[in-house]
Amino acid sequence: MAREQYVQQLDLLRESMFSLGEIVELAFKDSMIAVIDLDVKLATKTLALEAEVDKLEEGIETSIFDLLALQQPMASDLRLIVSALKITADLKRILGLSMNVAKIPGKIEDGHIKPLTDTRKMADIAIYMLENSLKAFKTQDAELARAVAARDEEIDKLFYAVWVELIEMMAKDTSIISKATYLLFLIRYIERIGDHCCNICESVIYLATAERVKLN
Amino acid sequence: MTEAVQNVSQPQIQVENLNLWYGEKQALKNVSMQIPKNSITALIGPSGCGKSTFIRCLNRMNDLIKDCRIEGRVLTEGKDIYGPNIDVVDLRKKVGMVFQKPNPFPMSIYDNVAYGPRIHGANRKDLDGIVEQALRSAAIWNEISDRLKSPALSLSGGQQQRLCIARTLAVKPKIILFDEPTSALDPISTSRIEDLIINLKKDYTIVIVTHNMQQAARISDYTGFFLMGELIEFGQTRQIFQNPREKSTEDYITGRFG
Repeated sequence: MAREQYVQQLDLLRESMFSLGEIVELAFKDSMIAVIDLDVKLATKTLALEAEVDKLEEGIETSIFDLLALQQPMASDLRLIVSALKITADLKRILGLSMNVAKIPGKIEDGHIKPLTDTRKMADIAIYMLENSLKAFKTQDAELARAVAARDEEIDKLFYAVWVELIEMMAKDTSIISKATYLLFLIRYIERIGDHCCNICESVIYLATAERVKLN
Repeated sequence: MTEAVQNVSQPQIQVENLNLWYGEKQALKNVSMQIPKNSITALIGPSGCGKSTFIRCLNRMNDLIKDCRIEGRVLTEGKDIYGPNIDVVDLRKKVGMVFQKPNPFPMSIYDNVAYGPRIHGANRKDLDGIVEQALRSAAIWNEISDRLKSPALSLSGGQQQRLCIARTLAVKPKIILFDEPTSALDPISTSRIEDLIINLKKDYTIVIVTHNMQQAARISDYTGFFLMGELIEFGQTRQIFQNPREKSTEDYITGRFG
């Protein structure tokens, strides 16, 4: 095998991407548990993950810039590097949104204003989308990526349903506005995470097939 | 062979089932290719893959090699250049060639460029204009217009190569073949030649053999990958360098070969 060092650098980039994906996945899952259970302790633990992600992301970006500047990557190598750069940005945003989610438990006292049934459903789909878009990246599976992105519609529908429900509740009882607003933000964060998963799926399809698609 | 670029409406060069042997050794195996007019086509592949042999078939340079046998057809503007009644001198006027090492004649800059038009019977009073035009098209006029009588060999390597391009342009070819034209040049001279080749595309059809894959990627519209005498893949350069269809193309352009 020629270009051993280069091949190792690409392998390392892939590994770092997988690690980044795992931490972001953990952060999102735990932030959702924390917000549903209003578990401040878990939320605090989740917020601590941000520094680790920042460090990993910086390392990934540096290795991408080095590979581009020094190795003139071509063909599937080029597609890996371009998609890694884009996926890193999406993962960073998902992490940021998860951090926003994890900040909510500290602000809501004495329980939620309503059972979070639909919100939980939204979160489950978003978690499925994140897990499987990363799996599709790992296995370069364009079909899986398309299937994952197709589920975003379910999140969007639930988002509007919960949105309307919360607005109606606030109209009836103004004392809940503060708590309801946090829930509005929460569903907005989950909805955005779904969109970022779609972006990841687009990058996976480019990586696997060189085809550029819009799934969002 | 790949499906891409199979049906160019009016190819400037059409190669059909080209086979070539040097004695017993087969150097080209059933190569077919359609090269569109006013385009740049880059040929890449490892040493000994047949790309230079192939390009030399396009103006019958292999005729000069002993024991070389060729089968198949090479058509330019619909006419088989290996057919009967083909004047090889006339063919090489239409299909010019620039080589790896700049090879100006040991005469003045002016006479280098005027050489071709003179032997093709250009009118003496037209020569100055032809020489100036060719030197301008080769992007070297501004550097040497005040010393046209100086020896061509006094120029730098990059200038010599542009002079050789001017010499080729002076006989008004339709097609220009470049066989690794920048491999002996520094990066600045290389960039100048690359810019020049891109500019020439509007008036000529260009085929370039290069070992520099970034060069192929930078300047060409189409790329052909050769391996062991076969044309493995031919397609739009953008496709070849982002999403090659064949694994051996991928291995070669990502440097995984060997």
